[in-house]
Amino acid sequence: MRINCRNHFAWGASAVMSFSLLAATVGAADDKSKDNDAADAVKTESPIKHVIILIGENRGTDHTFGVYKPRGKHQTISNILSKGIVNEDGTPGPNFSLAQQFLVKPQPLYYVGAPKAAKAAYGSTGQMPQPNTNGAPIAQGESGAPFVPAFLAELATIDPSPDFNPLTNTILTTGFTALPADTVDTRIPNAGVLPNGPFVLQGPNISDDDYTGDMTHRFYQAWQQSDCSVANATKANPTGCLNDLFPFVMATYDLSDNTVPAVQHNFSEGNEMGFYDAEQEQASTLKTLADRFALSDNFHQSFQGGTGANHFMLGTGDAGFWSDGNGNPITPPANQIANPNPAAGTTNKYTADNNFSNCSDFTQPGVAPIVSYLEALPYRPEPNCAEAHYYMLDNTNPGFYPNGFRAPSPAAQAMIPPSPVRTIGDALNDKKISWAYFGGSYNDAVALSNDAVTAGTAGTLNSSTALAEAALADPAHALGVAYCQICNPFQYATSIMGDTAQRAAHIKDTVDLLADIQADTLPSVSFGKPDGLLDGHPSSSKIDLFEAYVQQVLDALEAHPKLKAETVVFVTWDEAGGYWDSGFIQPIDFFGDGPRIPLLALSEYSTGGTVNHTYADHVSLLKFIERNWKLKPLTDRSRDNLPVPKMRDDLPYVPKNMPALSDLFDMFDFNHQVKQPFLQ
Amino acid sequence: MPVRLTSDRHLLFAGLDLRRKTLRQASVVLHLALLCSAVALAQSSTQPPQSSAQSFSADIVSRDSGGVPLGATAKLHAANHKARIEPAGADGFFISDTDAGTALFVRSAQRLYLDARQSTPLTRIFVWVDPRDPCRQWQAAAATAGMVSTGEWHCEPVGHAIHNQHQIIEYRVTAPAGQSSYGWVDSMIGFPVKWQAADGNLFVLENITLEAQPANLFSIPPDYRKLDPKALLERIKHSDVWVDSPK
Repeated sequence: MRINCRNHFAWGASAVMSFSLLAATVGAADDKSKDNDAADAVKTESPIKHVIILIGENRGTDHTFGVYKPRGKHQTISNILSKGIVNEDGTPGPNFSLAQQFLVKPQPLYYVGAPKAAKAAYGSTGQMPQPNTNGAPIAQGESGAPFVPAFLAELATIDPSPDFNPLTNTILTTGFTALPADTVDTRIPNAGVLPNGPFVLQGPNISDDDYTGDMTHRFYQAWQQSDCSVANATKANPTGCLNDLFPFVMATYDLSDNTVPAVQHNFSEGNEMGFYDAEQEQASTLKTLADRFALSDNFHQSFQGGTGANHFMLGTGDAGFWSDGNGNPITPPANQIANPNPAAGTTNKYTADNNFSNCSDFTQPGVAPIVSYLEALPYRPEPNCAEAHYYMLDNTNPGFYPNGFRAPSPAAQAMIPPSPVRTIGDALNDKKISWAYFGGSYNDAVALSNDAVTAGTAGTLNSSTALAEAALADPAHALGVAYCQICNPFQYATSIMGDTAQRAAHIKDTVDLLADIQADTLPSVSFGKPDGLLDGHPSSSKIDLFEAYVQQVLDALEAHPKLKAETVVFVTWDEAGGYWDSGFIQPIDFFGDGPRIPLLALSEYSTGGTVNHTYADHVSLLKFIERNWKLKPLTDRSRDNLPVPKMRDDLPYVPKNMPALSDLFDMFDFNHQVKQPFLQ
Repeated sequence: MPVRLTSDRHLLFAGLDLRRKTLRQASVVLHLALLCSAVALAQSSTQPPQSSAQSFSADIVSRDSGGVPLGATAKLHAANHKARIEPAGADGFFISDTDAGTALFVRSAQRLYLDARQSTPLTRIFVWVDPRDPCRQWQAAAATAGMVSTGEWHCEPVGHAIHNQHQIIEYRVTAPAGQSSYGWVDSMIGFPVKWQAADGNLFVLENITLEAQPANLFSIPPDYRKLDPKALLERIKHSDVWVDSPK
């Protein structure tokens, strides 16, 4: 029985101290006579002295702003309303067929551009897979959202997390399906007989305050859903991505039989096609912000697929790879290597739905179709796959626990060894520019990590499992399981997470973000990530919970006018989460881009309800930071080396100089400052 | 009239440490006798003998291996095979019941309680024990905390002393997967009075006062609710926060 006396004996006291910190944060008065803001002294290209990047989970542009009309004068937007795919009330519009989805006959190998002869539209051959309740909570629960109201209040007093606040107290108790698990989501009007195309998530029994079914959103699936082929290219869509296999891929990639998926099988079925109607008060906080500030309708997830790789790209402008932990690429265990080729006798069941590929080797399963497509594009983007590097394509926990403990056996623990890839944090450190990553429930995750180290499980288990076991043993810190390890690109990095001082200085909790705003000690660059309860992810969270998280940060800033005046808050998402989108996609390399996701720029220099069309992705946020603080690109292979797009009036979404990425400066007018409330 | 064991505990435990170094051979006979006695007792129950149960209160203090206070103390109440531990500064307290095999953390302000599990080592150390074979109760307390053990724990008596007419037995405690710890048990009370963890940190009972303890110190009002984090985990498993290991 080995006991870490310091950690455990102080358990109760630490909870009390954390609660006191929160109370002090909330209760402290704004001392306007005192200026603690060291970031003011740092030279910047714009009046912006602070950047806060808030990242939600899994919402696309058409999914969120598909039915939205810009409020700014002469502003236009590309969405399913402007294209006539749907009407303002969400019903099918005159051009509904532009969004129709297809199924594909069985093919011998993985493909990213389905042969035309093998495709058939749903409707003519079977019904489009219908939305289901995949993973959404069926009832209120104790300890799991949506909570029983009285229990939520009790939970809030146990854990001093800022998750529990007046903005979330009600909506953390609502939105369960009251339907059986994994069945047709009959809350959606006409579910079961929905036509082939997008459908609105609104009706007497469903709104933006309801948990909805999730869908798989992984690398090879996402490429396949995009259905990209140069044979499909047109002047307006020169990269030929049709985005027309979304339900089909979901219904088949893990389907063992060879039947055409005309009936409900598994997974998300037709959930990809759901959208909110902002013109009918859905996601109303986001709509209000778009009405008052600037929205991009050509901002993209930087990586096809899911959370981990997109956040990694956000922090590095690059992809992570399996290494020996000292920076040298090595081959990962066989059970980590992907093979998306269809298993014999199936429509599209992936042979090995795993997380890593060596995309420099065209003989590796799944690689050649993507690389061949890239080579066929007129601008011939480089795959950017270094020799013998197995890149992380799908969610893999970092080799460090949240407390900095280094997993001793990454291969056995299914955790990617510590990464040598340079991060924006390293670049900011080099210039002595302050920065921090604020992860929701991070402090609880550190406590659980300490428990796991003490119990010995951190040395043998994957960190998700070890923290879950620790949570059962340490319920007062159970919310630590909701901290998102794969969302923190710096948790992968040896230079940050492997250095005690760096970790202490830069890796923090949401409570620290609010405290820094309150104390006027906000770093120059801040990344804010809510935990799994508030991140807006379908089935485990709701879009209005992410809105509440955003509002909490904005309310804190609102109380500090001087700080607000020199701060931009970017609100975006990690990825579209599998939701279908009608927007143009610019493939940049083997890894992406993927579908559009919303980006809001909230500052006194980005106002008026404007909509920016310049092509951008997550790396554009890095480019904004680098330009504002005069930093160089992170490495010679990172995407921040790409030029700023040259856009044209006749094709406003397609750069003339592909591949290219905006630095977002054209979302701002730094000669025109407008003071207005964020939301009130 | 409470009876307070007030003589200098530092001297007592300094003496025990000395004995560990110098009297080991001399105590072999005693150890064998104790072990034989322990073996002779029935092993079918993890409950300590009823005759050992008394009621008392004490302070728990902690020091590192160099004797430097670790800065945290707790109040202990013990009676009828139950113990209540109140860490200073915490917003709740722990209740363990050796007979029932439970250890709970109670938050009165919120009118709820949780399984204590591994929230504190104190609920695994300061439990009622059989002075002749305390490992049965210590191992049971570890199991209650959810600590997996692949085999039997072993308590080897390695020293003893008389303090205020109470016999104190020192045990080397060996768990299958861990390093040895040391526990000192007051054989008259049937309760540990000192623990030295494998990392050298010490937990010591001070100001032991033998007196009756109110029964309500060890009970949870019936209207309190129990919090279980399993549902939270299930919800999180549907998010991208959760990463499944490859099959």
